[in-house]
Amino acid sequence: MFHAFFRSTLPVLPLLLVLSPVNSSSCAMENKTTEIHVKYENILIHDINELVNISAQNRDRCCKNKNDKNIKVFFCNDTQEIESLQSMACNMLRFFHKQRISKAFRWKAAFVSCGTLQVLKCKCEGHRKEKVICPHVNVFGKEDTETGEQSRKKCNQEVCELKENISSLRSCWNKFEKIISR
Amino acid sequence: MAALATFLVPVLLLLLCGPDPCPAAAHSQPEVKCVLFNEEYMNCTWGSRETLKANYSLYYWYRNTSNKVECKHYRQDQDIRVGCHFNQNEIIQFQPFHVLLKASMGGSTLEISKRMELQDLVKPDAPVNLTIHNMSNNQLQLTWATTYPKAKCLEHAVKYKSNKDTDWMEISVNGDVFSLPSVDYKKFYTFYVRSKVNKYCGRTQLWSEWSVPVVWGSNSTSKSTVHWFWIHTVLIPIASCVILLVLVILLVRMERVWVILMPRIPNPSKNFDELFITHNGNFQEWAGVPKDVVESFKPNYSENICYVSELPPKDSYDPLWESSNPPPSVMPSASPAPGEHSPYKNSYGRV
Repeated sequence: MFHAFFRSTLPVLPLLLVLSPVNSSSCAMENKTTEIHVKYENILIHDINELVNISAQNRDRCCKNKNDKNIKVFFCNDTQEIESLQSMACNMLRFFHKQRISKAFRWKAAFVSCGTLQVLKCKCEGHRKEKVICPHVNVFGKEDTETGEQSRKKCNQEVCELKENISSLRSCWNKFEKIISR
Repeated sequence: MAALATFLVPVLLLLLCGPDPCPAAAHSQPEVKCVLFNEEYMNCTWGSRETLKANYSLYYWYRNTSNKVECKHYRQDQDIRVGCHFNQNEIIQFQPFHVLLKASMGGSTLEISKRMELQDLVKPDAPVNLTIHNMSNNQLQLTWATTYPKAKCLEHAVKYKSNKDTDWMEISVNGDVFSLPSVDYKKFYTFYVRSKVNKYCGRTQLWSEWSVPVVWGSNSTSKSTVHWFWIHTVLIPIASCVILLVLVILLVRMERVWVILMPRIPNPSKNFDELFITHNGNFQEWAGVPKDVVESFKPNYSENICYVSELPPKDSYDPLWESSNPPPSVMPSASPAPGEHSPYKNSYGRV
């Protein structure tokens, strides 16, 4: 009877550990706001501005007609700015292979995503896209964004989503900077 | 034909206007413009009494379309809604802000929507409490304060010039201190400051108004500048003119000086008074020219020939006319040969 008790309760413990909600973030720079601020001001903001300019050059006439419900919107939640930036950066990586988006545009977007994840020292959950994409983009990213094809693709749903993602990422960085500037 | 027309008109209207409601013929679509003043309140405007043809209602929301809220404080211009005022508790930055303008006109509904990022529409208040500090090495330091809640999110611009300069100098400043090296104590400086949200905290292009100015430099410098202006432009020219006038008058009155400066033109007429008065203009008479010389210049002048011969001495030669032989006949000739006697003995003809 004693053996039966332990045999029945023993698997419960690991099950509890797996099912318990994981609230800890996968970012390692939570309390190092000064370091984040320096890297953002000196490096990342320039790439973000370039990406915003490229985004503005891409046609978006179809985006105004499309239903907003189809476009996933990321919000920069109060007191969760780093987590919000992580979500936005990881989501932006999925556009890297979208052929309906011009190569320069998606490479620059991936470059900024990887830069954001590096500055915040975050990892993406699930498929860990950053492990596959970021090493490639960090080595060849600059060349391909400068010398890559400049042809613009037609406006489509993916372009609209990427533009929305970029706008949210930029705004969330502005919000984070404003909060840490004291 | 009528049936064809009734069919074609809606098709044409649909092609021209698209799926959206077709606006009135002379109506231009208003555009919503919002400004967030120092993050304290916001004003959105979409036109004026003259430009708006319909009375619009404004609705806004942030995340969910289902949470649309109508404007609570409209701004009106003679019963026409031209804008909306938002209090601080109605403003959320760093979230997409959607507005929808709606109006009914002629049975159709007019709708204009716009999406904005409010952190990109912030206009800070002008800086206050501008203060100048005298530092060592002729250096000035200008400091100021701001009522904006996040001072570190601001960048500033300082505009200054001295009373000797013609153009303003404008310098960008990231902190809240501006240093001006090597100032001139004889000059009078004026400073202005304005602010803008920097690129790290937003993307606004809206600068604040210029602050109330602050001045530095001795007040007497400014007063003497005014005095010098009057001296240079009024007193000196008038004094110069008066002095010049006095000199001219003195010059005219003092004939000795006048004569030296303006010598008299010689008048030789007095030398010729005798000619005109005594001799009646007879130049030859006045000059003392002999009468026969005067006569010789007359065109009808004829002169008698006067033969002249020289008597030989008694010892050497007897003249021919003293012998028995009759004297040779004397033929009048224009130029008698030398030695021949002339009808006038012992006389010389006047030529």
